[in-house]
Amino acid sequence: MITLLSSRHRRTLGGYAFIAPWLLGFLLLTLGPMLASVALSFSSWTMLSPPSWVGLVNFERIIADDPLFLRSLWNTAYYVVLAVPLTVGLGLVLALLLNQPLKGMTAFRTIFFLPSVTNMVAVSVLWLWVFNPEFGLLNRALALVGVEGPLWLQSEAWAKPSLVLMSLWGVGGTMMVFLAALQGIPTELYEAADLDGAGSYRKFLHVTLPMISPALFFSVVIGIIGSFQVFTQAFVMTGTAQPGSEGGPNNATLFYVLYLYKKAFQEFKMGYASALAWILFFVVLAFTMIQTRLARRWVHYEGGDR
Amino acid sequence: MSMRSPVGLASLLVCLHLQACTSGEPEAPAAVAIVYNCAANADEIRALEAEIPEFAARTGIRIILNPFTGQEKLYAMIAAGQAPDIFYTNTVIRDRFAAEGRLLDLREVARGDSFPERLLPGILQEGTSPDGGWYSLSNWSFTCGVYFDRKAFAEAGLRVPDSSWRWEDLRHMARSLTVDPDADGTPERYGIYIPAHFVEALELMNGAEIDRGALCARISDASAEVYQKYLALMDEKFMPDLRRMQALGMQPMQMLQTGRVAMLVEAVPHQGLFESVDVDLGIAPLPRFDGHTPRYFRSGSGGLSISSATKHPREAWQALKWIVGGASIYQPNPVLTDQDFVEGWEARYPRLLGSGFRSVWELSLRHPGGDPRFFVRFSSWTAPAILERLQPRLDQLWSRQISVAALRKALPEINQNVGRALRDALAQETLRPAFRAMIEQRLEEAEGGACD
Amino acid sequence: MTHPTRSRPALQHLARTVILYGLLVAFSALFLVPVLWMISASLQDQQGVFASPYAWIPASPRWDNYATVTTIFPFWRYLANTLLITLSVTAATLLSCSLVAYGFARLRFPGRDVLFALCLSTMMLPGQVTMIPLYVMFARLGWVDTFLPLIVPALFGTPFYIFLLRQFFLTIPQEYDEAALLDGASHLRIYWSIVMPLARPALATVALFTFVGAWNDFFGPLVYINSPQNATLTLGLNMLKAQITGTGLVEWQVLMAGALLVMLPNVAVFLLSQKHFVKGLAVGGLRG
Repeated sequence: MITLLSSRHRRTLGGYAFIAPWLLGFLLLTLGPMLASVALSFSSWTMLSPPSWVGLVNFERIIADDPLFLRSLWNTAYYVVLAVPLTVGLGLVLALLLNQPLKGMTAFRTIFFLPSVTNMVAVSVLWLWVFNPEFGLLNRALALVGVEGPLWLQSEAWAKPSLVLMSLWGVGGTMMVFLAALQGIPTELYEAADLDGAGSYRKFLHVTLPMISPALFFSVVIGIIGSFQVFTQAFVMTGTAQPGSEGGPNNATLFYVLYLYKKAFQEFKMGYASALAWILFFVVLAFTMIQTRLARRWVHYEGGDR
Repeated sequence: MSMRSPVGLASLLVCLHLQACTSGEPEAPAAVAIVYNCAANADEIRALEAEIPEFAARTGIRIILNPFTGQEKLYAMIAAGQAPDIFYTNTVIRDRFAAEGRLLDLREVARGDSFPERLLPGILQEGTSPDGGWYSLSNWSFTCGVYFDRKAFAEAGLRVPDSSWRWEDLRHMARSLTVDPDADGTPERYGIYIPAHFVEALELMNGAEIDRGALCARISDASAEVYQKYLALMDEKFMPDLRRMQALGMQPMQMLQTGRVAMLVEAVPHQGLFESVDVDLGIAPLPRFDGHTPRYFRSGSGGLSISSATKHPREAWQALKWIVGGASIYQPNPVLTDQDFVEGWEARYPRLLGSGFRSVWELSLRHPGGDPRFFVRFSSWTAPAILERLQPRLDQLWSRQISVAALRKALPEINQNVGRALRDALAQETLRPAFRAMIEQRLEEAEGGACD
Repeated sequence: MTHPTRSRPALQHLARTVILYGLLVAFSALFLVPVLWMISASLQDQQGVFASPYAWIPASPRWDNYATVTTIFPFWRYLANTLLITLSVTAATLLSCSLVAYGFARLRFPGRDVLFALCLSTMMLPGQVTMIPLYVMFARLGWVDTFLPLIVPALFGTPFYIFLLRQFFLTIPQEYDEAALLDGASHLRIYWSIVMPLARPALATVALFTFVGAWNDFFGPLVYINSPQNATLTLGLNMLKAQITGTGLVEWQVLMAGALLVMLPNVAVFLLSQKHFVKGLAVGGLRG
């Protein structure tokens, strides 16, 4: 029967057959739920009773009447602005250090990379103990030099910086991306710069940075998208004995996705949580578009511009 | 739904291959299976597992333990139609579930049964919801007291406290017991530690009126006074900084054990404390406040409920009765009148003899102040809306960022969503009539300015 | 005449090397210390963790903490659950993503580029937008508290890996295909017998990343799994932490032992497959 169709039709059929899994998945698991989620965001639903349409009420409440929404947005933005540059910076520094033809680099690389592939919950549990104000590693070390460390996760001022510090431990992935990018820079470029009499600082600025700018862009974008969705650490580390108290001292570590989760799965306000999810979508979209716009200015692709 | 076929077939194949469809339940012979959501406490689970086979052999009811670590999973299971047969509810969710018809009214299965007569009268009362239905049965009851280190008292030359002592005495003792040998400003041992969740017990002693099922948050003068005195303890360094203690990752009783504090307010009885703290302990009731009749804390609000969707209501009731009155890990059970609770505990822990345990317990029976805890004192429907705004403020109060006066001034803002919460509750279509009427009445009160 | 400048670069070079190694060692120490701390804590007893001054190596190491952990934390059961889910997800992902990537890379059909762009753009969608309706759908199907919601979506492909594989397939020369087509082979045969074997490195990378991602997944099990018996290692560890820090005696040494046990499989997998990790990140980062 297939041979009766023209070869063009056969190709079309074949093409769609191959991408059918994704297409089906897109309809069932992405598009469908997205549309449902839009409908839900205009409804009120606790799952125990049928949903009821409320129009824009959810959005009104979120924007005008929800201090925790603003707090969670602030917390998340704070974390993103602090974590992304530091992680990208440290990743680059470590990659530069490792990009030398010296012995033992593999061992060092393993040490830096391992923490980033370990389980986030296990990492959170470990750092929960590290950050303990009295018995943890950090404050014991600080006490050795006579400094009284803060309460870290239980301190409103230090809770988010603690999480940023912990995220630096997982810089291995970013480091690897930069390492691969650095190793892809042709040495001729450096030799040419040497001939022009450039010192190492100028070489870095005018050869290295432009050549790794795609990797930089990638890391920053992935870093932003990922940091916006920070959840596990806050959930595990600042949830105390009573479930429902995740969020830290005075909600200092109530991040956006954590707040969403609480609204959806602890208070079962499905409509409200869906509205929150859509707001997140637009915020992330805006950020990514800004980044992409800006990228045209400074990201340099091999073989000419774009 | 049309998506059922391909996905359903795939899932069936996957299921067969992976045996992922079972939730870990073993095959059962003729016995009736009852799923019990118990606390995720290893000792408790072990003790129950040891006795369940005998109970099954005797009654043909096999209890399956499903340890859980939080309420949220319970809600998710109920919403997904997988409710366990027996589970714990607290007052916040009990009335909500009952209003949606999710809980079995125990009066139905207990008809003609003499078991309810064995219960302390207050227990039956606590398990009753506004529509008159009996939806939960407390499996435990406790009070709180001040545990103190006798040796420390002897060394400081202090008389041990008894039921006549007052707050000023407590302050005086705490001062004497706080020691700072290296004079670095941080005491090596503090006189006392009172966890924040027991402050309300002190409010009761100071005569504060704490309504069960209150519509909104209130801070009476009596309560404000207690907050001031509590904070003064920290200011004078007789008590360690609250935030710091909470961050320590240590149970309060470990502070007593390590000699970090000389007095500790904790639940009575407290099995962990009795077993693992080897300090020479005395137990005293909470101190009185001048001019007020003492009303001692009494709690029984964590109750066991039976799902209305259970397939075996009678067997679930049998299992429930056994859990409360038969399983030895929970005996002697303070909710039952026909057991000498104190005697049973003194037999298990001889150190309690002469410690003051008996006196503290009996005082709480004679002058019960009620259960003042936050999640009990607000109504099911307004509690989340209030606590969401109250809890961060309390955090700030205890860490000295705001004053008591500022907290009282913020009350209207804290209570502002009460009306909205009630209206949201009314929007649920499947609300039972008796509850609907009650919520409507409360909404009227709220809109009439009851919370301003 | 000697070149005086020659000795200076040599000295400079030595100084640079020393500084470099110094920095690397310093950073390594900072990275390793938490792990050593964790191991040390896991061997302490109840008093030891809170002791001051702290003894990094306890006088009598409590190896039995690891045994204790397994009585309250069914490690083997969680390991089995996690393994089941992870292997299924990996196999499903490899199959579906490679099929779809082949379609996008090798076949020309109307709407292909638009659909591919659509596929890529869904990478940017925060999972939370579809999370609730998906939960409701799975609840209606009765799949809550089973592994199905975690495994079945993998059968439909993941945009990121589809993208990665498609890029890789594009680099495979088309001559082999054309020869096979002339011989009358169907695309399916070309996919299976020619392209897939050549794509082994990329497939290995995808397999590895999928494996690690599924192994470490927390949010999925958190949302869909309710009973402790069905929990994965990550979820189980969170339950352990809630249990240990919430009720009764807080035993940090036991919790640290549990955390270490959960970390071990990750470390093992990574050490066994380092090469592919590095290569994979290179492909992802440069083209990203």
